[in-house]
Amino acid sequence: MFSASQFDSATAFSGGGFMSSQPSQLNDSSPAPSKSRDSQGLIPVTVKQISEASQSGDEKSNFVIDGVDLNNVTLVGMVYEKVERNTDVNFILDDGTGRIKCRRWVNETFDTKEMEQVMNGMYVRVYGHLKSFQGVRQLVAFSVRPVTNFDEIPFHFIDCIHNHLRSKLKVEGITSGNPSSISSLNTAVKSEPNGSQAPSSNPGYAQYSVDGLKDCDKLVIDYLQQHSDMSDERGIHVNELSRELKLPLDKIMLSLKTLGDDGLVYSTIDDYHYKQA
Amino acid sequence: MDTSNPAAFVNAELLHFYVGRRVRALTQVVRSDGGIVIGKSTDEKQLVVKGSPPPAPLTTFVEVFGIVNNDKSITPDIWTNFGDAVDMVSYNKLCQLAHGEYKHLFL
Repeated sequence: MFSASQFDSATAFSGGGFMSSQPSQLNDSSPAPSKSRDSQGLIPVTVKQISEASQSGDEKSNFVIDGVDLNNVTLVGMVYEKVERNTDVNFILDDGTGRIKCRRWVNETFDTKEMEQVMNGMYVRVYGHLKSFQGVRQLVAFSVRPVTNFDEIPFHFIDCIHNHLRSKLKVEGITSGNPSSISSLNTAVKSEPNGSQAPSSNPGYAQYSVDGLKDCDKLVIDYLQQHSDMSDERGIHVNELSRELKLPLDKIMLSLKTLGDDGLVYSTIDDYHYKQA
Repeated sequence: MDTSNPAAFVNAELLHFYVGRRVRALTQVVRSDGGIVIGKSTDEKQLVVKGSPPPAPLTTFVEVFGIVNNDKSITPDIWTNFGDAVDMVSYNKLCQLAHGEYKHLFL
């Protein structure tokens, strides 16, 4: 939904000869079914990443980075060789990893005013759409804003790294189908002396869902499996789960609810004791 | 599109990896006189920039693009004033990440 509306605004702002030959192409290009759940609206990238992106589709210029279809991107860099014309403003964006040609169509006063603020040698934040024109990758920008708070610069590149990691995790999760590959990326993993599964000590990674079963849910069900005692009908107390897995109680309860809905666990003597089904 | 001349994010510690190559570094200006600017790098060590800044006054924090000399100083070509309040810690962390596991996103 979000990306569809971005497409519309891109065509509305760009107009002109450059885009007019390809509007049907934009509307026709639909993300592959396996990616439609993950298609992102706006991705922070470096020029280096753009240079290495592969292209999918026939002659359609659909760029793919880390397994994710690129719709719109954002970059932060310096402006060079700004050339103002009647209908558009061209410039080169140099973000320290490379240089890319950018074009900003100017149809309304708002566009002209925005581009007047932009000078050569200035750091800007650009939002735009990637295009390939005569084999050269270019950016059709629909927003160019001078950077005023310079924390934005390290932020953008850290954002690129973060996004890269997220996409990589999603691809690995789908292809390997094994959520334990995610816990192996955690930096500190505590291993229990009795050899049971080492719990994830980095709750930040528990958010990424893989194959519908959250990382946290997997930990809970694995723990219940390994510590189940058939003779003990009471099961395991939620406090024990919270303590041993180093996860907050509300996360444990949420996982147990999800697992219970799926029929994988059930509560025993009260709402705080659970067994694997 | 041209990725032939990238600049690596560096702090003082990483300078020796990029001697003769183009880098970018954030520095807190300590002293600026006679064609040399002494600053503090994002990892709290001394950074020497051998060049004259542009005529406009330098703010407390400045990012410099330039080539690393053999003596680990930087010969600058671009100076950017980053203002008087900028997070050195984030920039430093970025230097480490961009040099390490995620180098392929930058260089």
